[in-house]
Amino acid sequence: MLRYETLFLTVPEITLDEVSAIESNLQKLFKEHVATFVSFERWGKMLLAYPVRKNDYGVYFLIRFEVDQAKAPALLDAVRLFFAVKLNETVMRHLVNKLDVKGAWEYQRPDSLEDAPTRPAESFRDSRDNDHRGSSQDMNNHHLAD
Amino acid sequence: MVKKVKLRVSGRLLRKKTRRTGFKMAKRCRFTSEEVPASAIDFKNVMFLKNFLTERGKILPARISGNCSKYQRLVANEIKKARTMALMPYLARRD
Repeated sequence: MLRYETLFLTVPEITLDEVSAIESNLQKLFKEHVATFVSFERWGKMLLAYPVRKNDYGVYFLIRFEVDQAKAPALLDAVRLFFAVKLNETVMRHLVNKLDVKGAWEYQRPDSLEDAPTRPAESFRDSRDNDHRGSSQDMNNHHLAD
Repeated sequence: MVKKVKLRVSGRLLRKKTRRTGFKMAKRCRFTSEEVPASAIDFKNVMFLKNFLTERGKILPARISGNCSKYQRLVANEIKKARTMALMPYLARRD
């Protein structure tokens, strides 16, 4: 058995229907090639390190699967074709990576914008006013004096 | 007549000898010394790989990070993978 993972980056406007369609299509694909579908994870929306296809944000997904050595090349070709051709519109980048069979499944993933703690906008405005009110008044006075 | 005295030691060597040799810690590879497990080198582990970038977003040379050549290669390859996936920058913005 060989283990693989594929990380793919989609456009930020991807809908839930499209995601479920991708997942079911992948399941079908893995069934055809007698592979086991281990996981399908959504990392969430993230700020990209550089704009891709003029998008500053993107949604990452990670899939992991196991195949027999004999069937691996055919499956990997199919997976690459699936992302590069069939999902040409929605998937911006994809990367197939081989995993260590003896290694653990755990991994560290980057924080997404959806995990970040959110604060109501009003509380943010209040704290900013308190911090800078004094200094901004000083600035105004300075201008008047000039 | 003044006899010219030839220097026995070259200027470069003299400077080298007088150079201050402070108490510098011997540089070790953090992966071979098992301070950090090698499994941490992964293109998904962006927070960790950021330690091996310069401010400008370039890959830090082994001479500075102290990695041995085996792990320097691994780190560099994983950073390049992360770059293609837009997880890490090719060039950090100067703000």
